Amino acid sequence: MKWSLVALVALLCAFFLADLLMNRVAEPTRRGDGAAVPFVHAMHGDSIGLPCSACHTGAYTTVRAYLPSKADCMDCHRLPLTEGAGIEALDSALSKAPEHPWSKKSSLPEHVVFHHGVHHSAGVACADCHGTGYAKDVYGGERFDMRTCLDCHRGKTFRDKNFKAAVYCAACHR
Amino acid sequence: MGMDRREFIKWCSLLAVGSMLGGCRKLPFVGDAAKKDLPSFKMFEAEVRRAMSMPSHRMELVRVSMPGRLNRPGASEENRFGMAIDIDACDGCGKCILACIQENNIPLVTEDESAKGRFMHWIEMRGGVPFMCAHCGNAPCERACPTGAANHTPDGLSAMMYKRCTGSRYCGANCPEHARKFNFNDAVQQGLSLKFNDKVPVRSKGVMEKCSLCLHRLQDDRLAVKTAGGVWRGRGVKTACAEACPKKAIVFGNWLDPESPLVKVARRRDLYAPADLAGLDPSIVYMMGGK
Repeated sequence: MKWSLVALVALLCAFFLADLLMNRVAEPTRRGDGAAVPFVHAMHGDSIGLPCSACHTGAYTTVRAYLPSKADCMDCHRLPLTEGAGIEALDSALSKAPEHPWSKKSSLPEHVVFHHGVHHSAGVACADCHGTGYAKDVYGGERFDMRTCLDCHRGKTFRDKNFKAAVYCAACHR
Repeated sequence: MGMDRREFIKWCSLLAVGSMLGGCRKLPFVGDAAKKDLPSFKMFEAEVRRAMSMPSHRMELVRVSMPGRLNRPGASEENRFGMAIDIDACDGCGKCILACIQENNIPLVTEDESAKGRFMHWIEMRGGVPFMCAHCGNAPCERACPTGAANHTPDGLSAMMYKRCTGSRYCGANCPEHARKFNFNDAVQQGLSLKFNDKVPVRSKGVMEKCSLCLHRLQDDRLAVKTAGGVWRGRGVKTACAEACPKKAIVFGNWLDPESPLVKVARRRDLYAPADLAGLDPSIVYMMGGK
């Protein structure tokens, strides 16, 4: 009795652990060495007047919102921005950083088309779908499914914003 | 071994629970070990030649008027996409079939099926004239679909939602011209499929497919135009077959747009449709004579 109970609990724990490890939603992975200075959204976004598309190029106009390449970072960081301590660590981290510091494989299935640009044009803010997790640099918190899409396309999610969009299958599926 | 009935049942149920838990997840180490080699492009060309050499009957064509606004609720007032195929200009070269295969990742068929003339091609030659799904405004296939996988878009496409299709094949049986093709094979597993175009998903086994009127091209154009804030009339789009036709015999366009090349050409010609589709308001028609 006792042993089978222990075995059952162990089995469940093993399953949920495996589930947690293998079934995570896609999140950006960071390349390069561990000495790199962690990226902080709070220092790069609204606080210095940058729109999301400044680094996530294409977010307002194309299908994908890309992750910045090192060149995108260097657009601003080639000049020393601050004086005093800390900048040396940042400079050396930037010089050592790989050409594409982040990568993310989209978890969107290939039979679905999602266009970031058209949503921006329709007045959907990035944070409407991506929440505020990014501001705390917590990635991968979003879990999108068709219900999320449909609720908003039917105008149920943001009643005050009066969103209404196509709900026929072939608008998004191919 | 000292195991009583109670203990035995307990362990059995534990085993069952364990395997059920495992079963509800895709295991990471189950790979595509059994997958066969990818086919070569030459095999696709050879299959098109073989399909073209098969005997086919000439379609019985009857006069139809120019397709207009869809007669169904929610239909678009601006767009109804379709094609007109110029029978006088077409010489039956079959380039449209190959272009369609490459655009839509259409798989090969097995040797058996090929010998019987059962190809997956969305376009086939009937009496030397290309035939594909006519995207009927009043499509009988869609009415027969038990899951809603075959449905109509407001802009006149008879669309297939592959993930919804359970493979009843009622639609195929209900199409008077049998324009639909069923995936009897797992094409990827059997090495019959080559992914030419990343924009089009490869259909799995047990799914019905047919001409989509290059739905992905229309979607991409629609999203780009809407992002820029314009009114979408599908003016920048052409289907793969229309693009590939050396005689420009296939004309794609928007039946409700007077600026569309389709309307400009079709206005001066006599329009025809296969006799058993003529009453179903087809979006793809044939042109002969006139001018």
